[in-house]
Amino acid sequence: MLMKATVSGTDVKSGSITLHNLQKRYASAMAVDDVSLSVSPGEFIALLGPSGSGKTTTLMMIAGFEMPDSGQVLLDEKDITRLPPHRRELGVIFQNYALFPHMTVAENVAYPLRMRRMPKVEIETRVRRILDQVHLGAFAARYPHQMSGGQQQRVAIARALVFDPPVLLLDEPLGALDKKLREHLRNEIKTLHKEVGKTMIYVTHDQDEALAMSDRVAVMHEGRIRQVSAPKDIYRRPADLFVAGFVGEVNLIPVKLKSGTVQGSAGETLSAPPWQDADRDATLCVRPEHLHLDTSAAGSSSGIQGRISGVTFVGDATIFEFRSETGLQLLSKVLNVSAKTMPEVGDPCVASWAANDATILTV
Amino acid sequence: MAGTMSSIATDGRPTSSLGSSSAKPTRWAWLLLPGSIFLAVLFVVPLTGLLLLSFGMPSWTLANFLRIGDAPVYLTVLRNTLQISVSVTALAFVLSYPIAYALTTGGIALRTFLLIAVVLPYFTSALARTFAWIVLLGRNGVVNQFLLELGLVSQPVTMVYNRFGVIIGMTHIAMPMMILPMFTVMSSIDPKLVRAARANGASPLAAFLTIFLPLSLPGLIAGVLLVFIYCLGFYITPALMGGLSDVMITMAISSQILEQLNWNFGAALSVVLLVAVLIILWIGSRFFPIEQLLGFSDGKLGSTVARRQMGAKILMRIGSAANALERWLPSMGGRSVPILASFLAVLLLLPVLIVAYLSFSASSYFVFPLPGYSLRNYEAFLFDTLWMRATFTSIRVALMAAGMATALGGMLAFGLSRGAMPCRGAMIALLLSPIIMPTVIVAVATYFLLARFGLQGTEFGLALGHAVHAIPYVVVIVVANLRDLDPSYERAARSLGAGSWATFRTIVAPLVMSALIVASFFAFLTSFDDVVYVLFLGIGKITTLPMRMWEGIRQDISPTIAAVATLQMLVATIVILVGTLLRRQKNT
Repeated sequence: MLMKATVSGTDVKSGSITLHNLQKRYASAMAVDDVSLSVSPGEFIALLGPSGSGKTTTLMMIAGFEMPDSGQVLLDEKDITRLPPHRRELGVIFQNYALFPHMTVAENVAYPLRMRRMPKVEIETRVRRILDQVHLGAFAARYPHQMSGGQQQRVAIARALVFDPPVLLLDEPLGALDKKLREHLRNEIKTLHKEVGKTMIYVTHDQDEALAMSDRVAVMHEGRIRQVSAPKDIYRRPADLFVAGFVGEVNLIPVKLKSGTVQGSAGETLSAPPWQDADRDATLCVRPEHLHLDTSAAGSSSGIQGRISGVTFVGDATIFEFRSETGLQLLSKVLNVSAKTMPEVGDPCVASWAANDATILTV
Repeated sequence: MAGTMSSIATDGRPTSSLGSSSAKPTRWAWLLLPGSIFLAVLFVVPLTGLLLLSFGMPSWTLANFLRIGDAPVYLTVLRNTLQISVSVTALAFVLSYPIAYALTTGGIALRTFLLIAVVLPYFTSALARTFAWIVLLGRNGVVNQFLLELGLVSQPVTMVYNRFGVIIGMTHIAMPMMILPMFTVMSSIDPKLVRAARANGASPLAAFLTIFLPLSLPGLIAGVLLVFIYCLGFYITPALMGGLSDVMITMAISSQILEQLNWNFGAALSVVLLVAVLIILWIGSRFFPIEQLLGFSDGKLGSTVARRQMGAKILMRIGSAANALERWLPSMGGRSVPILASFLAVLLLLPVLIVAYLSFSASSYFVFPLPGYSLRNYEAFLFDTLWMRATFTSIRVALMAAGMATALGGMLAFGLSRGAMPCRGAMIALLLSPIIMPTVIVAVATYFLLARFGLQGTEFGLALGHAVHAIPYVVVIVVANLRDLDPSYERAARSLGAGSWATFRTIVAPLVMSALIVASFFAFLTSFDDVVYVLFLGIGKITTLPMRMWEGIRQDISPTIAAVATLQMLVATIVILVGTLLRRQKNT
């Protein structure tokens, strides 16, 4: 969804961010380990990972609050690695919004314009306009503590956008909110991105958010980027075991690759995408919604034999726990769309999947 | 494989090596410099000088120390000091625990009342409170009048100028200092723990003894330490309320230096006191990190220390014994503690309130109840040249001291909480020591230093001494406030285009301002109320308001002094109110 047309030229800020081999060490551990990334102008990219993965540190290095030990940060081909934060012209939205408590909403939003020494009249016009855009025109004279969480977020966004930065950095802005509000504000941010078309780099540990909002997702783990792809590819074609396990549920089946076929632990042949490489041990990944448990075909080929060991009803779906004859435990998820009778605990069945729904991972 | 996978871009750009984190941490640490130099010159150097004097500089000799051991008189003084300090600490402990407990567990009304009862005396000058007790306990005092009228005694009971009076007066003044650390630790105890004990079958008494009491131990230890050290260095109250057999070491020091002009021996006595204090501090620090109490670190209070002390077996035995005992105890419906605490709180407030009451006396004697009301005592104060001159002297000195203390203390607070530096612990110890060290010692030491520069007897010299004493309070207040200041505000400001100075000017300063104002009020108050420094540094040339009161109390007890004391209490109340209002305004 690259909305704004990009004009290549040195005087127009198009908002591309490039990271070259960023490194940051804290005491005994590498917080950020050789991170490189290219963000196109107008793109919405999420840095997704568990706590300690280095995603916030990376964002702070882009914003200028942390200095990398080595590596570069480029904004539109210009090296900003050494620039102090107040000269980078990037909009930052912090985790708790960091709205100045001793200033009104209007004063908060006017702050960056004041720092840029804009004439007073122009400041007032701009502030009024952007507050109207985020539907907070009536709250201009209020103080942050008098506003709800959602309203505070809109003030933070208005403040970060009012000086028209080419890039917006967001540090887990929805972290402190409850589920319903989170979903609502998630959509607001996404709509905002469509409207203003600015580059947005969004840090989160919530995979639902990352998948729902982004053009691309960069999954980080222990300071390194494991995979950068569109949400669909992150989910359907995880690059390694960490990504497979972190984003959504996944079944991990140890297999042997032998002369082009994929063999399970009991020696049975399993469906898989074509594999051309030396014989080796690997893991086959298949998502629970792609795992079919067939009670009628018990005993037939092309699957793993076993029994149903548990049934859990979760409202819109049913989760089946499967236990193979060799002790392998898998999950299968079936939407409760029809009233057809579900298998029960103890029923023998065969676990199978479409070849294209599986991914072979060797790391 | 289907699907596209964007590649991680790398081109052949050379990587440049940069320095690690931004220079900010060390830059802040520079702010520590002015305050540290000030304290080093006006605190560390004088103390070192004192140490040298005690060894009889310029010649090395232990004669002064040996003299202490030789004359029985000084051994008696040491024994008195220990006896009195232990008694006061024990009594304060017993009386303070219920109040601290009720402060933690009581309802809003009770807590507010108790807080006022603790805080108001705390901010009233020790001199005023001592005066209140003399009025209450004197031969013609309020208590004796009551006893005589009720026919309980036929003759007035001697309650002042003896051990009894000293202990009562000192306990009253020390209690807030015992309550506050207790309360701080108690309020950090998770109330769910006691509830869990009850749910597991413990009676209220057993739950208290096995859960609450051990967890509150660090606060108790801190309180006991602080009060004991305070008692060792207590001067005003024992000097005014004690008899000939109640001479404490501080009085001996004062007499040696101010009257006998025997500096070396006085210094030796001071060193003995100093060493005693340091030993106790060292012992105490093994049990309790004092800096946590004053807000310098973020560790949870009362966590593992208490559990280490009591074996689980002993606790279980106590618990089951308490369960058995509970059946035989009369139940007061859970009200026994609030009632007791309220009673004690009234005792805390009583002297203060009675003095205020008596200040409106129409006669020049203290008669209870008052025969008539008038403002003559206040007029006597306001229209008396000497009193007024003393007041203005106090104000002048306090303004100087508060100015220096706020400026230097504020910088120290910023440097300490924002700057990264190796010997942080030592820095904190240095900053806190002026309040823990007995004031007499510091005053004596400062006197020698000022004498070198001819500053003894000058108002500026006095202000310097006061500033040293006030700086720790300023630092503690501002550090606590800075801790609550979310660093993301400054980051937000910088991301929006504000440089370091602009960030400080528009964001940090306004948010810290209320704390600085409160801190400066405190500094003003500690200077305004001080007696000890004036006695030693003023050498009779400077008459501040407390100095005048001191002389007045020694000579006679006139109601005019009651008026002065009440006015001082009024000022203290205003300071507290303004401080509370400022804090509340900031939080809404």
